[in-house]
Amino acid sequence: MASAFLLDMTRCIGCEACVLACKAGNQLPVNTQYIELIEHTSGTFPDLVGGFQNHRCYHCADAACVAVCPTGALFKEDGLTRLNPDACSGCGYCVQACPYGVPKMQNGRSTKCDACASNVSGGGSPWCVTTCPAQALEYGDRDEIIAKANSRVAELKDRYPKVQVYGETQAGGLGLIVVLPDDPAMFDIPTDPQPVPVSVDIWKGVVQPVSMGLTAVAAVGAGVLGVIARRNHLAELKELEAREKAGVPAGGSESTEEEQ
Amino acid sequence: MSGQEHEGQILRYRTGQRIVHAIMASSFLILLITGLALVWSPLAFIAAGGWSRYLHRIAAVGFISVPFLYLLLDRTGAKEVLVESFQYDHDDVVWFKKMYRYALGRTAEMPPQGRLNAGQKLHHSAVIVFSAVIVVTGLVLWFAKANLSVSMLSWTAMIHDLAMLALTLLLVGHVFFTYVYKAWSSMATGYVPADEMKLEHGKWVEELEHDGAKDPVA
Repeated sequence: MASAFLLDMTRCIGCEACVLACKAGNQLPVNTQYIELIEHTSGTFPDLVGGFQNHRCYHCADAACVAVCPTGALFKEDGLTRLNPDACSGCGYCVQACPYGVPKMQNGRSTKCDACASNVSGGGSPWCVTTCPAQALEYGDRDEIIAKANSRVAELKDRYPKVQVYGETQAGGLGLIVVLPDDPAMFDIPTDPQPVPVSVDIWKGVVQPVSMGLTAVAAVGAGVLGVIARRNHLAELKELEAREKAGVPAGGSESTEEEQ
Repeated sequence: MSGQEHEGQILRYRTGQRIVHAIMASSFLILLITGLALVWSPLAFIAAGGWSRYLHRIAAVGFISVPFLYLLLDRTGAKEVLVESFQYDHDDVVWFKKMYRYALGRTAEMPPQGRLNAGQKLHHSAVIVFSAVIVVTGLVLWFAKANLSVSMLSWTAMIHDLAMLALTLLLVGHVFFTYVYKAWSSMATGYVPADEMKLEHGKWVEELEHDGAKDPVA
């Protein structure tokens, strides 16, 4: 079972209560925020269309940030993308990888929405959802959320001809299901975000484990062979010494006097 | 050619060479462990908090400085290793054919070798090439990461990882031969037993004796 957010942009009034609740609830430092409200409008007055983009982690099922994270600080849980800042090394690969430009570096660590893991594990709801005065945000079972989004779209068709559900299939299916009043491009979000490149899978899934395996095999092999080979070499040296003692000239022994 | 305390011994590596080797070895091991923290999850705790990133960079500066330090501390030695490591003669070819015997600790039927045996030459040249690859990709990841797409980032990191695999396997071989041929002293004091050198680096010992006869002071 996966959980998801429902973000109904036709209901959002742009009050930024979610931004503040998120900051306060998650005790974020002064210049950090997980939600950014960006106003988008198009058309000419009085025929304006637009809304407030609630820019935050989209919780991709095929999350590029998780795929590139070297320490496991970013991981998937319950359909959402969590972040354990204690495990973060601050490499910044997630910043490069995210197709939505979400993770930011703060004091050398990655920061982003983790869907209020601590609240949710105690049976509560994320701060933004509990605070929203316009019922633009909901949180629950992903299938139910998608059903709700579809019925909302059906209701809104007359008012917003281009209204659509965003997030059902993008990046393997998002954990943030958006009721978009217009095309994604209107809100600066990709219609179909770039999938995680195959090279990432080769790098993390083949090159790294194979390298570790080869190194382990080589080290163990060298250890075993080393004991045998050293014994052989010591025996050889002993034989040489014995021959020299017996006065049998062995490879250039006449030069020993010259040397001193 | 050697003082009383080093009777029957040959100076194989001068002080400058040993200092350079020690810096290369220690910086490499730090780079290996701090880098492994991003590859092998049981070591990920080292990377937590990010301090291993700084250690990795400090060690990287040490590693990059090795060729310059070598030139500074022992110009002759640096030139020798560069020239000799890429020059092979007929004995070297025969040596490679019989290499399995050498790897088993048997020198008896090996062709006579110079200061560097054929395996050491190959080792040095491989270390030089893969070090260059790892330094270039490492500098890209250090200074140009923000300009890389995910795909370029993964390619660069992949090449960086593969170069480290090569260098680590070379290190395993290096430690292996050091153990089998009791070569620890060449790293620690620089002196090695003369009779063992005759066995393993016959042509070099001959050369030294030849030079020594011409110029007894050397």
